[in-house]
Amino acid sequence: MTAPGAGAVLGVEVAEGLRGVIREPAALFFSVVVPVLFFTMFTALFGSMPSPNGLPVAASMLATFGAFGVVSVMQLNPGISVASDRESGWLRMKKVSAAPVWITIAGKVLAALPYALAVLAALTAVALAVVGPVIGVGPWLRLVVVLLLGSLPFACLGLAVGFLASANATTAILNAILFPMVIASGLWIPLEAMPAWVGGIAPFLPTYHLAQLALAQLTGAPAAAHVLVLLAATVVTGGLAGWAYRNLRV
Amino acid sequence: MGVTRDGEPALRATGIEHAYGDVPALRGVDLEVAPGECVALLGPNGAGKTTLIGLATGLLAVQTGRVAVKGRDPRRAATRRLLGVVQQQLGFPRTLTVAELVRGAAVRAGRPATAALGALAEVGITELADRRSAKLSGGQQQRVALAMALVGDPQLLLLDEPTVGLDVTARREFWQTVAARRDAGAGVLLTTHVVEEAAAVADQVVVLHEGRVIAAGSPAELIALLPDRTVTARTTLPACAVADLPAALSVSNDGELLRVSSTAPEELLRAWLAADPWLSDLRVEGAGLEQALVVLTERAGVFA
Ligand SMILES: Nc1ncnc2c1ncn2[C@@H]1O[C@H](COP(=O)(O)OP(=O)(O)OP(=O)(O)O)[C@@H](O)[C@H]1O
Ligand SMILES: [Mg+2]
Repeated sequence: MTAPGAGAVLGVEVAEGLRGVIREPAALFFSVVVPVLFFTMFTALFGSMPSPNGLPVAASMLATFGAFGVVSVMQLNPGISVASDRESGWLRMKKVSAAPVWITIAGKVLAALPYALAVLAALTAVALAVVGPVIGVGPWLRLVVVLLLGSLPFACLGLAVGFLASANATTAILNAILFPMVIASGLWIPLEAMPAWVGGIAPFLPTYHLAQLALAQLTGAPAAAHVLVLLAATVVTGGLAGWAYRNLRV
Repeated sequence: MGVTRDGEPALRATGIEHAYGDVPALRGVDLEVAPGECVALLGPNGAGKTTLIGLATGLLAVQTGRVAVKGRDPRRAATRRLLGVVQQQLGFPRTLTVAELVRGAAVRAGRPATAALGALAEVGITELADRRSAKLSGGQQQRVALAMALVGDPQLLLLDEPTVGLDVTARREFWQTVAARRDAGAGVLLTTHVVEEAAAVADQVVVLHEGRVIAAGSPAELIALLPDRTVTARTTLPACAVADLPAALSVSNDGELLRVSSTAPEELLRAWLAADPWLSDLRVEGAGLEQALVVLTERAGVFA
């Protein structure tokens, strides 16, 4: 008697997650289309001007809107997906299989990554088309890597909610957390253009530190503090997700 | 096919008590399914059948008692490699095709994805392979669930009302497929509200009522428990008047006819004919399993 190979099961889970989005893309529509639309508008207007940190606005916005797009996909997609699997009974069917449920959960996070990457690719394509090359390939790669890795605490938060709430409630709760957090972190409108008190809140938000970490890949600014905050956020949201998982009702 | 590896029964549940909060669902149940044996779990809604199956699948944690699948704990993922389960409530992701669902089930059971082909053929749904699950009829979903349960070559099949929504032919084929697995050595525990199909496929019947086993035995033994006969007739009397006749135990409608069970059909008929001179289409039969069940459950209700 052997347990099924974890790798093979993970492959199935990721494939199922990817198919879900490809075949019914409506769920990811806003996560992908909203950041790309806003980004296009803003780069067309201000893209080649310099921003306060010295980079062209288009380069800065690649970091801030990139953070917004990646967080949006990673916070919403795995969480909502797990909530609807609970609601439909599919998670209950998988729970009586020989494959441990944590593989299902890991599969959902992994299956969301290509879509997060797709948002970044779309933003990059728009920046190239509208303004031309604004950053080198090396910094761009680092930007992509830190954004994807840094999305982990947001995925954990999404899962924590998705383990407990209905699919509709999960969508509502996660969006209600996402949008204020994104705006107050200066991901849509630069903090310099917002009231000073917003700038006071921003350092308490993990989205702010993710965007700053991404920007640091372009400016070379020190990044250790942002990494620490994101690690702490991962510990907290990972703990939350673990607690919610133990109270998982299927 | 389900090979017996040791002397352990496919399923053994002993001294099971289970409650949801303060709602008791099982109150001291013992049950055993041997390899190559088919056991039908019967009983009215809320009797505790799904709860017992939930414990056997490892979905529910045992509160009191012990549950073992081939001597092993079903809460451990590796043990569930031995299980094939059709749950009462199905829920497939709408975006996946039948073939993808069954291939996924194969991999989750530790088998190659190619095993799906055989399972689809065994259940007779090869032509549905490329259909999205959202476009399946209820009966087709039920058969996909059976294919997913069989694809891992289980030693214990747990089927909770698996034939709901199947037409007559599909039902017969469904039980033939299950019986073939049983004959190849798999243990089967099933629940159904269609008592006749339990009588046809099961070697043993266990009747649950309000969380207790009120009767157990082969279908023939259960029927023999009751000396009852069933009297069916067309009558002008209302059902309640017939129920008040001497020696009438329980009364049910059978189309336009009335069906009465009785341990003394002669006495019943004398009184009935006296009360209704127009009595017609009269038939007296030994009780079937269904009537046996009705009477057993009613008695349990009276003595509870
Ligand atoms: N999740 C739950 N929470 C609370 N009570 C429950 C839950 N599931 C079942 N029960 C209760 O436990 C008892 C047994 O339910 P169970 O589902 O095991 O019955 P069943 O024999 O499968 O019935 P049916 O034939 O309707 O499927 C019932 O009284 C039911 O109301
Ligand atoms: Mg049930």
